[in-house]
Amino acid sequence: MSSENRSAVRTGTPEKFSYDDQIVKLFVIATLVWGVVALLLGVTIAFQLADFRLNFGLPWITFGRLRPLHTNAAIFAFCGNAIFAGIYYSHQRLLKARLFSDTLSKIHFWGWQLIIVSAALTLPFGITTGKEYAELEWPIDIAITVIWVVFAVNFFGTIIRRRERHIYVAIWFYIATILTVAVLHIVNSLEIPVSLTKSYSLYAGVQDALVQWWYGHNAVAFFLTTPFLGLMYYFVPKAVNRPVYSYRLSIIHFWSLTFIYIWAGPHHLLYTTLPEWAQTLGMIFSVMLWMPSWGGMINGLMTLRGVWSKVRTEPSVRFMATALTFYGMATFEGPLLSIKSVNSIAHFTDWIPGHVHSGTIGWNYMLIAGMLFYLVPKLWNSELYSKKLAHQQFWFATIGLVLYIISMWVAGITQSLMWRAMDDAGKLIYPNFIETVVKIVPMYWVRAIGGTMVLISFIMMVYNLWKTAKAGKKTDVVVYEAYPLHASHVEEGATSHRKLEGWPMIFAALSLIAILVGSAIEIIPSLMADQYVVKVSAIKPYSPLELLGRDVYIKEGCYLCHSQTVRPMPHEVVRYGKASNAAEFVYDHPFQWGSKRTGPDLARIGGKYPHMWHYKHFYEPREVTAGSIMPRYVWLFDQKIHYKDLPTKMRVMQQLGVPYTDEEVLKSVETAQLQAKGIADELAQSGVPAKVAEMDIVSLIAYIQRIGMDYTSMPDEEIATEGK
Amino acid sequence: MKQEVLKAFDLPWLPVIALVLFVTSFVLYTWWTYRATNKSHYEQAGNIPLDDKDIA
Ligand code: HEC
Repeated sequence: MSSENRSAVRTGTPEKFSYDDQIVKLFVIATLVWGVVALLLGVTIAFQLADFRLNFGLPWITFGRLRPLHTNAAIFAFCGNAIFAGIYYSHQRLLKARLFSDTLSKIHFWGWQLIIVSAALTLPFGITTGKEYAELEWPIDIAITVIWVVFAVNFFGTIIRRRERHIYVAIWFYIATILTVAVLHIVNSLEIPVSLTKSYSLYAGVQDALVQWWYGHNAVAFFLTTPFLGLMYYFVPKAVNRPVYSYRLSIIHFWSLTFIYIWAGPHHLLYTTLPEWAQTLGMIFSVMLWMPSWGGMINGLMTLRGVWSKVRTEPSVRFMATALTFYGMATFEGPLLSIKSVNSIAHFTDWIPGHVHSGTIGWNYMLIAGMLFYLVPKLWNSELYSKKLAHQQFWFATIGLVLYIISMWVAGITQSLMWRAMDDAGKLIYPNFIETVVKIVPMYWVRAIGGTMVLISFIMMVYNLWKTAKAGKKTDVVVYEAYPLHASHVEEGATSHRKLEGWPMIFAALSLIAILVGSAIEIIPSLMADQYVVKVSAIKPYSPLELLGRDVYIKEGCYLCHSQTVRPMPHEVVRYGKASNAAEFVYDHPFQWGSKRTGPDLARIGGKYPHMWHYKHFYEPREVTAGSIMPRYVWLFDQKIHYKDLPTKMRVMQQLGVPYTDEEVLKSVETAQLQAKGIADELAQSGVPAKVAEMDIVSLIAYIQRIGMDYTSMPDEEIATEGK
Repeated sequence: MKQEVLKAFDLPWLPVIALVLFVTSFVLYTWWTYRATNKSHYEQAGNIPLDDKDIA
């Protein structure tokens, strides 16, 4: 709708205004900087899995601590800044209005960078909540909430001041993003602080898992998908200078995604102790998710009809088209992975990181690249420095990604088949877990090389865009003109839905209702979980020392390589022991089920080996398991047990409903020291010096030796009767 | 015992409500969007990104 033909129904004089592109530039620069950091971290941990020596025996750069930094950097720093850049650029133009407040924009920008820096300053030191993709501790969680609100005010304020009545579909996706991320972040981050750097999740066990994966799944949906679809609906038409193929399809796409995505969480937990029906429900929804996703992809790609040649000639178009293709692939693979039989093979294996990266590299990185190749020349008033370099970058990124995906398919499926291989007598063919690890290490090398190529491709882009920006010519501020919106300007005879789309707040409220209803349906069972998970008297809270050991486990990110839940499948029960039960986890704040078995499951590790085995294993895993890729944890041997917070920790657990008595809390340090001495005495028989009793390693051993013990020591009949 | 827990968790109305809500909404917004009277409006809306010429 051009302003001329609208002037027929408009009164008054057009207003002059300009856009705030300075803030967009800042976010673009931050995207590039954090992109390099995120990929560098990714490549580092990829090589660490291929060769354990690259952990260097240093706590701050060991796999378990860098991995959360990598995911947080990739999602919140790299993708986050790119989203803000793209939203702020397109939002102003789609609404014909400058951003609501330059000050809020600046607070948003610097606040977000500060959050990222604080992540980088805490995660390597083991300051973490231990919940995947939500590892940041509570003060940073609060900062995220504040900055997100600043963003929201700035965003909705701009909508209120707009000069374009219709809210273009890209903005719908942005609205859904802002609302949903707020809900997800707040609900999942509920925790009780122990100190400035430590807190415990409000939820435990099954409930914590439900909330966490409701969050995890939707973070993918509403941080890595919906905002990017919004960007796609703006930047693809811009790059080829033609409208989106079908605007109506984009609306169906929007509503279906919003509805289905939020309701499909449980597929992350198939075969765990999650209720069966929730698994099935999640599965059905995930499969349904396939339809709107492909509708969106087709819509994006069909926008290029008639201008396909630009895919060859224009870097921005080429990257966007590739992004859409990978989006199609990832959203095909996702629902496939949620089908129970496929999932039983893929879950806990490298197939999952493979899938994740076809999304984050294939979809997010490629779309960001396409967007930046469009944006940077515009923002800096320049020509792209080198198309040739951009095309080389494209091939590096694509080949790197394909190596990544294929190596992880091979690794995942190979390992999974080895885990489940049984002979006629029902015995495991590969009873030693390590055999299945050694087999796939070559694939870890291929993945690391693929990742390196992606990193190189990114650096090529940074150079290309830097040269582009440097060659830019200074310009005066561009002035635009449009009619203001007044109530009198609602077009006569507009149909009801047109009015609806003109009412952003009502529309936002509707999206919010859709999201909240979906969330409620998803969350109700978990909120009621307490009533249904029958507490079994034999399952007792952790001893004070075990609690401290558990915190070491969380701190070191062991959950990133080890699961703690045995699925009810014959090969798992034969390999590990009794299948897991919901009642086992009622005191686990937070749950530590994990999502990836780089190492074996630990739900039944308690009592499997003597203390000395663990002592040696944590010092040098290769000493007891030849070929292991587990990092060494040498620092745990001379890092003293931190007793100071122990009583507070127990108090917080008490508040959370763990039945510690006041006396137990008062005597916690004493009790812990006594237990530590017991373990040290046993180790002393093998010649370990007595001072080990003061070291973290003893608390970790205490915890490891406790895992699963209460449940496995119960006779089956007792479990059956108590459960009634 | 696991079976017991699963039975206890059984709230069949919940997924049914979800499904009914979703299917109803889907039918509604699809019908709404594809009504013939809306065609020209959506064509115009689709052009919004391309309408940002400056006046300089
Ligand atoms: C990089 C991935 C990785 C990380 C991180 C990791 N492990 Fe492991 N872990 C493995 C692998 C692989 C094995 C199997 C080979 C072996 O026994 O060392 C293993 C084995 C184990 C075993 C022996 C299990 C058995 O049944 O034989 C224990 C116990 C263990 N790890 C505990 C831990 C703890 C505690 C941490 C955190 C302090 C941790 N691991 C961190 C990969 C990892």
